Amino acid sequence: MMDTEVETAVGDLRVTVSRDELAQKLGIVARGVSSRTAVQILSGILLRSEGGQLHLAATDMELSLRASLPANVESEGSVVVQGKILVDLVRQLPGNDVVIEHGAEDGVLKITSGASRSQINTFAAADFPRLPELDVQLHSLKAGAVLETIGRVRRAASRDESRPVLTGILVRFEPGKLVMAATDSYRLSVKETAIEDQLPELEAIVPARALEELQRIAAGAEMLELGVRENQVIFGADGVWLTTRRIDGQFPNYKQLLPDTFEHVVALNRLEVLDVVRRTSVLAQRNSPLRLRFAEGELVISSQTQDVGESRESLPIQYVGEPLEIGFNAEFLRDGLDSVEGDEVTINLISPLRPGLLKGGNGDFWYLIMPIRLAG
Amino acid sequence: MVSSIVIAHLDLDAFFAAVEELEHPELRGKPLVVGGDPKGRGVVATANYAARRFGIRSAMSSAEALRRCPAVVFVPPHMALYVEYSRAVWRTVREVVPVVEQVGIDEGYLELTSVDPDPRKARALAEAVQAAVRASTSLSCSLGVASCKVVAKVASDRRKPGGLTVVPPGKEAAFLAPLDVRALPGIGPRAEERLLASGITTVGALAALDDDALRGLIGGKVGAMLRDRARGIDPRPLETSVERISIGHEETFERDITDRAVLYAELRRMSARVAVRLATRGDAARTVTTKVRYPDFSIRSRSVTLPAGIDSADEIAEHACSLLDRALGDRPGALRLVGVSVSSLEPFRQLPLA
Repeated sequence: MMDTEVETAVGDLRVTVSRDELAQKLGIVARGVSSRTAVQILSGILLRSEGGQLHLAATDMELSLRASLPANVESEGSVVVQGKILVDLVRQLPGNDVVIEHGAEDGVLKITSGASRSQINTFAAADFPRLPELDVQLHSLKAGAVLETIGRVRRAASRDESRPVLTGILVRFEPGKLVMAATDSYRLSVKETAIEDQLPELEAIVPARALEELQRIAAGAEMLELGVRENQVIFGADGVWLTTRRIDGQFPNYKQLLPDTFEHVVALNRLEVLDVVRRTSVLAQRNSPLRLRFAEGELVISSQTQDVGESRESLPIQYVGEPLEIGFNAEFLRDGLDSVEGDEVTINLISPLRPGLLKGGNGDFWYLIMPIRLAG
Repeated sequence: MVSSIVIAHLDLDAFFAAVEELEHPELRGKPLVVGGDPKGRGVVATANYAARRFGIRSAMSSAEALRRCPAVVFVPPHMALYVEYSRAVWRTVREVVPVVEQVGIDEGYLELTSVDPDPRKARALAEAVQAAVRASTSLSCSLGVASCKVVAKVASDRRKPGGLTVVPPGKEAAFLAPLDVRALPGIGPRAEERLLASGITTVGALAALDDDALRGLIGGKVGAMLRDRARGIDPRPLETSVERISIGHEETFERDITDRAVLYAELRRMSARVAVRLATRGDAARTVTTKVRYPDFSIRSRSVTLPAGIDSADEIAEHACSLLDRALGDRPGALRLVGVSVSSLEPFRQLPLA
């Protein structure tokens, strides 16, 4: 504690907090800082001292992150400073405590810890965008089921902003279960997870990025809070609040995409085939396909990249009928085999130009993957 | 120290016109222009050498070409045909010199020392390439041989058509020195204007500029790079790993067009032709580019690179049209030309979920 008396005016911010707690909470909130620098204040973190707490917030206008930590508040005020600089500084401060002060009329935030004294130029808190209100009906549910479901489908979501709806994950609460689906139009993953929590039926397309953020902030949490607004979804975990905009639009009717029947159903040891796929992928550069040739008793997986090289490996399988050769994007196939989880995977095929389906043993996860049309 | 690498720049002579002459023997030797209609707003794509004697040049308006030579024969471009010839040419070239950077449909760089490290064999090798191209396609090409790209490119232009110019190592700067500055690749009309205004008329004069004088004329890295090139120094290696092939169509309109629906229709029509050529190759393309030209002749292009290749006319058109929207959003106005091209070709196609 500092032992000097300081005159404070209305709107001044002056708090003392634990360095470790501040660094940890800043680490969470900083992920909401905009990476686009067009609007400068979005590169900032809002600090607000009030009621024995220091509140931190960041937003890129699509999602916002809020966290609070206990603080010895001497004066209540708010200010915005560049997020990256604040994070980098706080992480390395020498003392156990950090004193943060900002005079309402000043253009700088003073940060003192041990013998270290820094000041960071500020933005006006009044210019910081208004964050979505949290006063919405919240539902509690077990974090584990939600996080697992996100983890199983998220990789199939698109990163291509030209079709915004595909950058989202369809989240639907049905009686007794949570369903999530994601597709980038080349593959589709769907996970159904049984839940005990009583929730009203809900459906929303939530940016995959926001749900990946939720995975991080809720990693150690037992329970989650969930609130849904007309155009926002709100998650709370361990006192951290994440809000995200909902994506407008029509999510593809994924049930229609799943074929009713398949010609071939091949059961494989998941980790074994995943290893083969990983090795052969090394020589499937520049989007070159992995070739899977199914024949009686043997699956041969091979790859070839012009001017780079080639690789092949075989593994024994139970397969009857005419041989079938099908090409898949190596990364898509790896993602699918990863997402299935469990010991066993079945590969369900129709023909070289029709989708293949990866399923696990539980029957609650589907990974549909379109092939690459092979030359010749 | 003299660089031990020897590069040839190969340039097909009046390529489009030469193909037309091959296809239409009755046109041989007559002044011939491949390009747009002289009654509309067409421009000369290529003029054969008979037409060039009348002062007809590429990029000149077709109407101007007709004024200079009323007897000139106009032929509309047949790109599919030129692509076929071009592929035959480069196949032949690669049989003689396998390390090739093709930079366009009708030009490219060959690394001669990849065949024989002895630089004294370069001339014979270049002659062999020329002979092989003529034998397999009946087309004539000119070659420049030098220790770097820029000198090889300038040299290939010295004795057209059918020429071969070898610049011995150590003589690069002396070879370039007497040439007009405009002959140096990289010197555009604006740089040329500034140089000429200061009395820098030859490549040698540019090469002799000291740092201060250079900064005053062409600043920054570009200035230093151009002066290096003027001195015959060009460290650019051959880019052989990058497949630079692109397939495209473009259309210069009879009159400037603002109607978005008409522009979309043009792009859809051209996308269909691009799709046919992709299908002929059996390829899919990951990059789509839309090019527009405004009435003041300035050009803009907008590209998108997709996570997976596409090959259908509808998909190409969908991207081409939204790229047109982007270009016109950035700079609105009437257009005298639109074009669509695809690149980043792959010999396979990721199918979409239907």
